[in-house]
This record gives sequence, C-alpha cells and structure tokens, in this order.
Amino acid sequence: MNFEAIIGLEIHVEMKTKTKMFSRAPVTYKAQPNTAVVPLDLGHPGTMPVVNKQAVMNAIRVCDALHLSIDRTLWFDRKNYFYADLPKGYQITQNFRPIGSNGSILLDVDGQPFNVGIERLHLEEDTAMQHHYEGYTLVDYNRAGIPLMEIVTRPDIRTGKQAAAFVNAIREIVSFSHVSDGKMEEGSLRCDVNISIRPYGTKTFGTKVEIKNLNSIANVEKAIEFESIRQEQLLISGQRVEQETRRFDEGKKETVLMRKKTDAVDYKYFVEPNITPIQLSESFIKETIQSGFELASLKRRRYIEVYQLSQYDATQLTEDVYVSEYFDSLCSLGQDYKLYANWLMSDIASYLNKVNQSIETFPISPSRFVDFIRLISQGKISNKQGKELFELMLTSIEEPLVLANQKNMLQISDPILIQAWIDDVLHANAQSIEDFKQGKDRAVGFLIGQILKKSGGKANPGLTNSLLMATLKTK
Amino acid sequence: MHPLDLTVVELHQAYVDKKFTPYEVIKASLERAKANKDNAFECLLETQALEQAKALIDVEVDNVFWGVPFAIKDNFSTKGIETTAGSNILKGYVPLYDATVYQTLINRHAICIGKTTLDELAMGGTGMSGHKGVQYNPYDSTHTRQVGGSSSGSAIVVAAGIVPFSLGSDTGDSVRKPASYAGLVGYKPTWGTISRYGLFPFAPSLDHVGFFTRSVEDAKHLMLALEGEDEHDATSRSLEKTFSLKTQPKLAVLKPVLESMNDQTILNAFYANLDALKAKGFTVDVIDFSKPLLEAIYPTYMTISCAEATSNNANLDGIKFGPSSWGQSYQDVMMTARTEGFSELIKRRFVIGSFVLMKENQDVLFLRAQKIRSMIVEALHHVYQSYDFIYLPAAPTIAPKFTDSSDRLSSTYLIADSHLALGNFAGLPSITLPFGFKDGMPFGVNLMGRAHEDLQVFYTANLIETTTQLRNVVSGDKR
Repeated sequence: MNFEAIIGLEIHVEMKTKTKMFSRAPVTYKAQPNTAVVPLDLGHPGTMPVVNKQAVMNAIRVCDALHLSIDRTLWFDRKNYFYADLPKGYQITQNFRPIGSNGSILLDVDGQPFNVGIERLHLEEDTAMQHHYEGYTLVDYNRAGIPLMEIVTRPDIRTGKQAAAFVNAIREIVSFSHVSDGKMEEGSLRCDVNISIRPYGTKTFGTKVEIKNLNSIANVEKAIEFESIRQEQLLISGQRVEQETRRFDEGKKETVLMRKKTDAVDYKYFVEPNITPIQLSESFIKETIQSGFELASLKRRRYIEVYQLSQYDATQLTEDVYVSEYFDSLCSLGQDYKLYANWLMSDIASYLNKVNQSIETFPISPSRFVDFIRLISQGKISNKQGKELFELMLTSIEEPLVLANQKNMLQISDPILIQAWIDDVLHANAQSIEDFKQGKDRAVGFLIGQILKKSGGKANPGLTNSLLMATLKTK
Repeated sequence: MHPLDLTVVELHQAYVDKKFTPYEVIKASLERAKANKDNAFECLLETQALEQAKALIDVEVDNVFWGVPFAIKDNFSTKGIETTAGSNILKGYVPLYDATVYQTLINRHAICIGKTTLDELAMGGTGMSGHKGVQYNPYDSTHTRQVGGSSSGSAIVVAAGIVPFSLGSDTGDSVRKPASYAGLVGYKPTWGTISRYGLFPFAPSLDHVGFFTRSVEDAKHLMLALEGEDEHDATSRSLEKTFSLKTQPKLAVLKPVLESMNDQTILNAFYANLDALKAKGFTVDVIDFSKPLLEAIYPTYMTISCAEATSNNANLDGIKFGPSSWGQSYQDVMMTARTEGFSELIKRRFVIGSFVLMKENQDVLFLRAQKIRSMIVEALHHVYQSYDFIYLPAAPTIAPKFTDSSDRLSSTYLIADSHLALGNFAGLPSITLPFGFKDGMPFGVNLMGRAHEDLQVFYTANLIETTTQLRNVVSGDKR
C-alpha cells in the first residue's frame, strides 16, 4: 500500500526589534541574565502592555510577502495557563483575530512548483528561558516579552523536502525583511511539524503526530522522512499511530517520544482588556509595505536581469541577507558585478569561514573593496597580485592603491616602456627569434619570461604578450 | 480652625496666607492618623512625609496640592514601599516603580502620609476581607458598622479628617459606595482618562482610579491634576475639555431603582432634593428602565470581573516576588503560594472566573455576560440621548452593621445596591455626594454623566452640593 504524508507547519519567528513586544526593555540575546528586563517582563502588578509599533510593521511586511489579508483592526487576546517561564500567568497573543489570514506562497522543489496555503500569522510575546540544574531551575527573563510572530500553514505539504523549502522561504523572508535573524540553530526561528499519513486516494486524515525541538532546516527534512516511514511501518504491521508529541534526536537521526497527547489544555482565551483595539489605516499599511526591504526573490531576479549574473551566482549571493546587502553596496559604487560576485563567493567567503565571522564584521568596507576590484579590472594588478593585496587589506586601513604602490605591485601597462624591454630582450636572444620562426612555441614563453624579469615582474602580461607577438611577426 | 478640617482648596489658601506650614500640617495629619481607631492604614510613611514637608518652603500659589497631605489605597504601586493590596500573597512585596497617579501627586508636592487598607486585592465591598482585619465606619465609634469597600481605608482617612483627599480604585462601586457610607464626595472618571499604570488590576475593563474628597471643587481639581494620556497605559487618553456647560441639565431617575428601595428616610430626602433641583431649573424625570437588565447587573459584574480577576492575578505565583517556598516542581511552588496566600473569598472568585472562562462554559456564561453588558450600555446610551445625567440614591441604606445580612436575590440588593456598577460597565463619569443623615450615619446620592463629560459632572454636582448644604463633612461634626 502506498501512503502520502500530510504535513502542516507552525513556525515561530523571534523578532529583532529594539524593544520588546509590550515593554520598553531592550531585545538582546547576549546580555547577562535578567538585565534586559523592566517590571512588566517580570509580571509585576499594575504594569500594562503597550504595543510595539515596529513589531506590527514587521508583521505587516511578512503578511504582504505571504499574501495574507491584513486585519484592519489589531486585537490581542490572553492565553491563560500557569508555567514557570510565564511571568504574567498568561501570554498576550492574537487568538480570535490574527493580523494576517488566508495567504499562500508558491515554491519550487526540483523544478516542481507547489503551493503552500497559510492559515494565519499572528503576533505574540515570548516566554522566559529556563535553565535546569540538578535540583533547581533558574529563570532568565531577558527573553520574556520578545516579539514573536507565529505562522501556521494549511496541511498542504507532502514531503520533507517541501517542508524544508517552505521553512527556508520563511527564513529568507524574515531575514531579508530584517524582522529576524531567522536562525533555527539559535532558536530565532522555530518550527514544529504536524504530520499524519494516509493511503493515496483517501480523503480522511490519519492520526496526527507533532514533532518539536527541530534545530535546523536539514533536520526538519530528516525528521519528516523518518517519521513518515515510522508511521507507515506501524500501519503496515497493523498497529495504530498514537496521537503524541515527539522530538528529533539528532544523534540517532530519529524521532523519539516526548509525551502522549492527553486532553488539550483549555487556555481560557479572552480579549486583552488593557489594549483597546488599534485601527490600522490604509495609508499606514501601504507605507509600511512600500518602505519594506527588498526580498530575496526580487534580489535574485535583479541580479540576473540587471547584473547579468547566473542563477547559481544569484542564489549563492542571497543565501545571507548581509552578503547580498554587501554585494548591493558594491554594485552601487562600481560596475564590476561579476568580479564582485566571484570574490564574495570565493575569497571573502573562505576568509569569513576561516575566522568564523559574518560579513557584518568584514574589515574591508564596500568602497575600499570596489577600489580594489577596480585595480584588477583595469589591469593595474594581476589576479595573483590581487589575492596578495586582499590579504594585506584585511589587516590594514590603507587605500588599496596605496598598498599596491607600497608593495611595488602595480603592473606597467605603458606600451612604449614594454616595447623597449621587448626590443632589449630580442636583441639579446637572436636564437629565440629563429626558434619562433621554426615554429617552436616555447620560445615565446621563454621570451615573455625574460621581458617580465626585466620589468621587475610588473609588465602587464597580456599587453606584453600581444606586443611581443606583433614584434616577432615583423622579424 | 484645624488645618485638616479644611478642604484642599481651603488648606491651599491657608498656606498662601501663611497660616500653617506643610510641616505643621503633616505632623498634625500623622497625629490624627495614629489616634484613629478605624484600622485605616496598612502603613504610615512618617519619615518620608515629614522630610518632604520640611523641604517645602515657598508656597506655589498656582498649585493647590502643594504641601497637602493625602493617603493612597495599598493597591497602587509605590517604589520602595511595601504594597500588599491587603493580601498575604503579597506580604513583603516591595514594588520597583511608582504608579503614574502617585508620581503625579508627588510631582505636585502633595505629601503621602500612608497607604490605606482595603478588601483583599480590592475584591469586596465591605472592608472586612483584607489581611489586616475589619475597617470601621468613622461615624460609629462603637465599631458596629462597615465603612464599605473595597477602598475602605481611603474613605476613613478623608471622613475622619486625617487628610483632605485620598486615592482609591473603583471596579464596581469601590469608591462611590464607601463615599455614600462615609459622607464623602467619591469620584470615578470616564474610563481611560486617568492612567491605571501601577494600579494592581482587578478587572481592567471595569477598573478605574477613583478618589475621595470633601467637596466637588476639590474633586474637580484632583481630576484635572490626574487626567491625561500616559505612555505606560495604552488605554489612556486626555479628558475632553472643549464643550459648553449646561446650567439647567436634564436628569433621569430610573424608576425601578427607587422601587427596589425600602428606606423611607433616604427616599424622602431624595424626592425633596428633586424638588429643590427642579426649583433651580433642572429638568427631572422619573423614567422607566428595563428591570431585568438592572437585575442582571450583579451577575454580569461577577461573571466578567471574576473572569478578568483570575487572569490578572495569575502573576501571583510565588516564583518572582512575594512569599515563596521551595517545592519539588514549579506546580508545587505555585500551589503552596496560592493556597496560603489567598483567602477563601478570593479563591471563590477565582473558581468562578475560571469556570466561566472554560471552553465549554464561555458561550453560556462569559460571552453571555459580555453580551448583557453591551445591552446595558446600549440602554444607558438610549437614556443619554434624552438626558444629561442619571441621578439616583447611591445606596439603598446607610452603612450596614457587620451583623446585617443582605439577601443577594432581593431586588434591593440586585438593583439599588448594585446600580453604581452601571458606570463601570459603560465607563461613565460618576460622582457620589453626601446627601443626608439617618441615625447619625451619612448617606449619599449619585450623579452619572455621559462619557468624556466629566467637567459637566463637576459643574452640575457643584449645583447639587449647594442644595444639600453638605460640603466638607468631617466625622467629628456629627449631625
């Protein structure tokens, strides 16, 4: 019997706004525990929530990217439950009226387009972080109240690959909109998977299993692949799939049971009385969308159409929002697009990899880098010298031209000077001219070597070559 | 003339005339506070108050609150000062920040002499449920009568002439009912016009900062000092000030409320007052109003307020502040803190609140209550299309004795004892004024205006005050 998997995703995106969703405490991921807090984040009596406008703007932009319809009135609700990481005893969320609903996104896996329907996008606040130790638990409230957006898909996904493509699309949207770092590895993007299987052709759904604690896009794919096979084998061997929550064990590469689903918790939702409904004007929504950042898909199209880059290059350059923004800065200052792309994908990438840094801390500013590339494209230095100069620039603040000068690197492209060297060398090597006439090509290599030597290695090799050939033909 | 028998405005004039210094007045206020036997204070702020008073030298002639003593209900956050809201669950809790209203008064150089007792977590109307025991009505030295609640201590301190004004909170009638029992002006504004930042929430959709004074004039001054948009309270907005005041307003008296009352002394005084107002050119009509809707006030109020209360007080879990204990799990810690911290009355309200919010009950209980609230608000709006005010006795009786019991299904209880909550349902400005005495105990009348017309309420209440001749009543001068 053949089965298909029915998969829906719930994605939590942690925003990198300046302040929290409802308080003025800063959003930070590196501060000492419990230093990025105000009384509201600790649930102190009498504190009141004030909605973060930037978080709302972020949500509007992501809603637009996901073609969700945007509610013109902003409502918040309380989700009531007791937990050690929940300071107020309730979470402010949008249960009854999410800011975005009924959207979709068209994706592509191995050339096959597929559409994922999106049920809702809503705003809420994060909980505190618990640190469990032997016999006690410590709570860090720095995370409490950080703005989150939750995106819930319809059960339109069928494979692990499709799921991974969807999560990656969300990652791209939120990182290119500067809403979030979108890093699953660091928890700023979290994905829960709901998966059931059913025989092809049937319309009813099987029993749903939830998979939590997935910490990379690759693991989303692996967990789904494992889980659909596990469920299939259960059914084939005549057993039932239990409704339960599982997690992905990275070492074993399999999903393991966390807990059986008992009756769903009753969160006793009701409308948050301390936030009166907020009207979102048409002009506010319009301006928010128009002032948003360029999404990865549009950047790729621009790179291909305007800068004549390949699909491959465009994809590589948009893996990381900051790399693409660095590239955009280069392209706004110069026209050596292909060279910029090559250097970003090779030398810069391997340097960043080596020092384990991101492009944000890359020491060469775009304008210096553009000047540097210009030395190569104008033939002032060779590619080989370029690599040397690049290394020097990493630890120096000097302009590339100054550095190249200091290192005596600049190529000589003056045809009169080069011709003089050619004439000298030919005069001293009459035998080589004869060899050339006999058709011995290596004579040319020998002569070029001699000329470069004479120039102290600075003669432009291309120009030298063409001038030499022209001269030899006259002999 | 004792400075504390003066109203705020009178005391200010005395300061301008250099008859007293703030230090003398604060000292006198603290003496009266200590001598008082009605259990009004959670704590006195003696050192802080005297220091602040000492620093006040040159009177600010345009600031009536300069050097004026006041007290504040112990459910307002005061930085560095233990604040328990009358509950053991907050024993030892020292807030990290000041409530906006408290900060405003301190900025105006008013001097807070203490924090006042209340029903536990402001839930209750008797002044009998706080962790410091029962509060007594200052008009009854035999200590047999309530002062009402939940702002019981704040009512005592103004009635007993300890301070000329105090802050309270009003979710159902927690300022305006005790004002009636204690011969005071009790005010609650249009919802949202005074910031609630720092007021420990009971039921935010019904909660208001309110206050006690001994004159309408003082109440107006206090309102103008406290109103305004606050960046910490997203529901706050400034008071509407640009409308023309009506000198001969139209009052509506809701007939079913009078019909549910039995006390002839109060009723007779009320009818006599209506005649006096008509003589002043007021239009006064006794109008019909849906009795079922009025009878629904109390159950609707309980349903909504308990639901919100159970959520608002879920932060009191023994983990972040207040008394805490070790446990095997977070559930243990929370259960112990809440079991020991809340009284039975509070637990009862939380059980009701949780019950009405449960998925299977929300439609028939919580959402139905919301619907009834909307119907009531709509019925009120209908009245306000033809009338400027609803005018009624504030309570059906004088302050009850501790031994009195009320039949909570009687229409007296359901209507005459509950109608002040109409102002909370619709967020309307509402003022209780002293109105008369019976057996040496005061009783009040209530005037409720249109939303945002707080200034019209003060204007008209002032005219009513001239008909009752009950201005600046202090419990010492019993009639």
